[in-house]
Amino acid sequence: MSVESVSGFRRRAEQLVAHLPPLLVEAQQVAAVVAQGVHGRRRVGPGETFWQFRRYAQGDAATMIDWRASAKSPRLYVRETEWEAAESVWLWADTSPSMHFASSPELASKHERARLIVMALAVLLVRGGESVALLGVDKRPGTGSAALTRMATRLQRGDAGDAPSLPPATTLPSHARLVLVSDFLEPVEPVAARIHHFAGQRVAGHLVRIVDPAEESFPYAGRVLFDGTEREGTILAHRSEAWRGDYRERLVVHTEAIAQAARSAGWSATVHRTDGSPHAALLPLYIDLGGHVT
Amino acid sequence: MASLGPLAFAVPWALVALVVLPLLWWLLRAVPPRPRRVSLPTVRFLFGLTTDRRTAETTPLWLILLRMALVTLLILAVAHPIVTWSGRSLDGGDMLVVVDDGWTAGRNWPARLAALEDLVDLADREDRLVVLMTTAPAADGAPFRHSGLMTPDDAAGRVLELAPHPWPTDRQGAAEALVGLGSIGHVFWLADDIADPGDATLVAALEALGDLTVMTGAEGPALLLPEPGVEDGELVVEALRSDSLGDTAAWVVAEDSAGRLVARLKLDFASGSGMARTTLALPLEVRNSISRLAIENETTAAAVALLDQRWKRPSVGLVAGGDIEVQHSLLSPTYFLARALEQDADVRQDTLGRLLDRPPAVMVLADIGTVAATMRTRLEDWLATGGVLVRFAGPAFSRESDDLLPVALRARQRALGGVMSWSRPQRIAEFDAASPFFGLEAPPDVLVDRQVLAEPTADLSSKTWARLEDGTPLVTAGRRGDGWLVLIHTTANTQWTNLPLSGLFAGMIRRLALLAEGSNAGLDDVVLPALVTLDGFGNPAMPEPHVSAIVATDIADVVPGPRHPPGIYGTSDLARAVNLGSRLEPPDTLTLPDSVTVTGLTGAGDIDLRPFLLGLVLLVAFLENAASMLLRGIIPSFARQSAAAAILLVIAATGSATMADDDPAGVPESVLDVRFGYVRTGDPGVDRTSKAGLSGLGAILTARTSIEPGQPVALSLETDDLVLHPLIYWPITIEQPVPSATARARLDAYLATGGILVVDTRDADRNLAGLSGVGPNAARLPDMLRGLNIPALMRVAPGHVLTQSYYLLQDFPGRWTGGATWVEQHPGGLNDGVSSIIIGSNDWAGAWALNNQLQPLHPAVPGGERQREMAFRFGVNLAMYALTGNYKADAVHLPIILERLGQ
Repeated sequence: MSVESVSGFRRRAEQLVAHLPPLLVEAQQVAAVVAQGVHGRRRVGPGETFWQFRRYAQGDAATMIDWRASAKSPRLYVRETEWEAAESVWLWADTSPSMHFASSPELASKHERARLIVMALAVLLVRGGESVALLGVDKRPGTGSAALTRMATRLQRGDAGDAPSLPPATTLPSHARLVLVSDFLEPVEPVAARIHHFAGQRVAGHLVRIVDPAEESFPYAGRVLFDGTEREGTILAHRSEAWRGDYRERLVVHTEAIAQAARSAGWSATVHRTDGSPHAALLPLYIDLGGHVT
Repeated sequence: MASLGPLAFAVPWALVALVVLPLLWWLLRAVPPRPRRVSLPTVRFLFGLTTDRRTAETTPLWLILLRMALVTLLILAVAHPIVTWSGRSLDGGDMLVVVDDGWTAGRNWPARLAALEDLVDLADREDRLVVLMTTAPAADGAPFRHSGLMTPDDAAGRVLELAPHPWPTDRQGAAEALVGLGSIGHVFWLADDIADPGDATLVAALEALGDLTVMTGAEGPALLLPEPGVEDGELVVEALRSDSLGDTAAWVVAEDSAGRLVARLKLDFASGSGMARTTLALPLEVRNSISRLAIENETTAAAVALLDQRWKRPSVGLVAGGDIEVQHSLLSPTYFLARALEQDADVRQDTLGRLLDRPPAVMVLADIGTVAATMRTRLEDWLATGGVLVRFAGPAFSRESDDLLPVALRARQRALGGVMSWSRPQRIAEFDAASPFFGLEAPPDVLVDRQVLAEPTADLSSKTWARLEDGTPLVTAGRRGDGWLVLIHTTANTQWTNLPLSGLFAGMIRRLALLAEGSNAGLDDVVLPALVTLDGFGNPAMPEPHVSAIVATDIADVVPGPRHPPGIYGTSDLARAVNLGSRLEPPDTLTLPDSVTVTGLTGAGDIDLRPFLLGLVLLVAFLENAASMLLRGIIPSFARQSAAAAILLVIAATGSATMADDDPAGVPESVLDVRFGYVRTGDPGVDRTSKAGLSGLGAILTARTSIEPGQPVALSLETDDLVLHPLIYWPITIEQPVPSATARARLDAYLATGGILVVDTRDADRNLAGLSGVGPNAARLPDMLRGLNIPALMRVAPGHVLTQSYYLLQDFPGRWTGGATWVEQHPGGLNDGVSSIIIGSNDWAGAWALNNQLQPLHPAVPGGERQREMAFRFGVNLAMYALTGNYKADAVHLPIILERLGQ
């Protein structure tokens, strides 16, 4: 990946979303009126662009009547404008050492997969007119092709070996959307604390947990010395296959705790295995962000 | 060399290394196997886990024992142990080895070679020199010469060059060559067990040189197969043996030129007799095909008899008279003759003079009245030596004919006519038992319009081989010396009779040609080069460069030797066999003076244990490696699975015979269920989509219709059985290889027998994206389908069965929409009017693809879920179409369809 050019990486992400129609983020707050990066919602609502004429109905304010149009016929017409809204989506891909793990050379590492999903999502969002930003890197959200190029460059560069396993606790504009892509192998408490930190800022979030197949199935047997990736230490298993049951149990408990932490904050959480197609991760995320699978 | 009874070690000091074994034991006990190191991000979940059993902390005992065995075996192998059974030694002198390599040596050559190698090994171990001597004349005709003193290494090289020769030994000559060799010490003679005039001389010479041991080891007597004779049309096969003790039997096999077995016959030697004889009665055509007789299990040149043309198809010369204009047409007198004979004889057409230069066994003169006087004498000489002359009458013959005829013809005056006009053409009467044509059937529609008539004489009846129904002779014959003179009283073409048009003619001509069998006529001073020679084992080989040609007249007197080994001499159309079996004296058993020590060849071998030990070392090393990998968990499941597989194999091998009858396992899964197939493209993504698409369609079909398909099957066009699937989905990718000719043939057969192939180029999204032109997959399509038997196609028209076989549809969207769908223009009657191929580009499988929770895997563009529903409806229609054919096109349903369409 490191030898791949920035444009190549971006192209790959573009290919991934090539067959998805432009994504529009559902605006949750009708009150949030026009912000920077206004875009049409293709439906009636507050906005400046003409959308349609409609027959006057009981209850419409007289100021809404378009007299010029009404003068052409015996009926009264109301002029409606297109609903315009915008939202910013903040993205974060874990670059900690544990993410650089791939159990077999054929598989992409968790980090590569996380990066690709984040980038593809950014491409989708920008195509839909949304503004996107990398959490902890960008000061404010950007939109358009330039923002994508900048994001691709930063994601490419983010190969540092010592990055933290938790998203930075920054302050986000309220009603922003946050997508966290990580393996979430940290203990539950700090993760939950971070989720609640963001939820407290009225940020809606989505967790995408990236899993390597070997982490889930624990296919090891025999005498194996297990070595952590983030200096957790080592442990020698004399018959590692005997640990499989306990290991899986613990993993499920951990996973459930993370998912519970997300749910309690009103966030959604999905799991993506690196032996699956990246589309499979993108599709639910995309639906969750309010895109119409047209 | 240290020895321990029969066990000796070539490198005994290596055994000292055995001292380190206890140290090794201690080391191996102390060091446990090294664990495998694995990096795992989730290692935190492992902390605190414990297992009940702490195994493999130290190396298990059996593994230590295995490793100890490995080292012990290695040390032993280095020490090079040898088991010596013979107990022979070469104290006090070097060694002379005399080897009989004449024709009998081929019988037990491998054993002789092994004994020879043992002797050379012995000399090697005892550090003695070796002299080698052979008793048959060398293949290059060089005089007898012993090898001189050689080191055992050189001698081993020379031994490898030895081979038995297909000619007799000359022990006298060998004995003379040994004169002048100083005293040697030990003499070994690896002797044939047949006698030679020079035996006494050789034994005396050898005994003078040293301590003589004769080693013989053949089983049973040597057998000889002289050339077979021909008597009364049967092959007479004789064999000779070197002793006359006991009742024994030998089998002779007859093979044709391609080595196929023609016959196998048994020869019984009666006690006290050195000869056995049997006859081989075969149809002539089959007998003619025999090119080689050989005694089974006798690997000598004398047990092989090659048969040349004297035993085989005769050569036939055709000479045509008559007018020039009929020479090269269907009217030619020789046209039917050549056709009748071409299977059974070598046919040459030429002038009489040129044919007589190299005379054939049979000569046919068609419609030649008078033979030129110059030729007449040569022709009669040839007849006297066994030629067969067949003459046909004809217009020219009846104008003027000479008297070289078996019978006198009536009315030499042509005015009265040898020609008769027949009011009614005559049929041919049945053949007499005395006639060579006896057994042939005369068809009733064979008629003779004209013939020449024989003068009635007293012996006319005995000379007549065939007659017409009114009794007039049609074929007359008489002997001339050793030969035959035959006259056919009608034409060889269709001028006077339609006989040449019938199968009877061919049969008659063939019988006449076989009269000439065994004829030796026609060889004079021709020089015959060697064509194929036999080697010392009786196998055919290319002639060696120093083999000389033989003048044909001398061939009977040739004595096989280096200059003339047995074999075939001549050219492919004129070949003569020189057979060793016919040219040897009847063999006798070798007799030796009592003073000579005689031993067998076998049992004298020394066994070198080093190769076995090294093999064991490899085996144990492999086991050890596998065992330690098992312990470290590197190949955990593989090893266990293979062990289980091995056990299963054994069980299956023993149990399969009983299970074969009632177990449905032999039935392909696909016939138990309706199963759609898809072509495996090699692109994992596309293949996954195809599989998910067909199983998604299957789920929809199961929910909505009575079709309940099983799991889809991935197919390889090259290998899999396509016929079991009613419908095969074929997504086109760029990387996909073009189907081979075999695959195309299989696809054609599938389409011709009612299969439906759905080809999907999956690139209608180009239309959506606003791109024009042909997509890469669609561009690839012609390549993929090239060579397939695909009829003219058309776009699916409104009202096509596909639009109404279940749902009423206007178009067929998939993951994309807008791509045209093509079907056969005029589906043939063969498949009941069902199009065998459907080509589209909408990526149907992409739309059908559902995951296990029946959630779609790919968005349908641009129509969303409604488009997906339409895609499924098309899928249902497609399955219905594949399974019910044109049922819905039946006019019976038209009113209902019209009603539903609201018309």
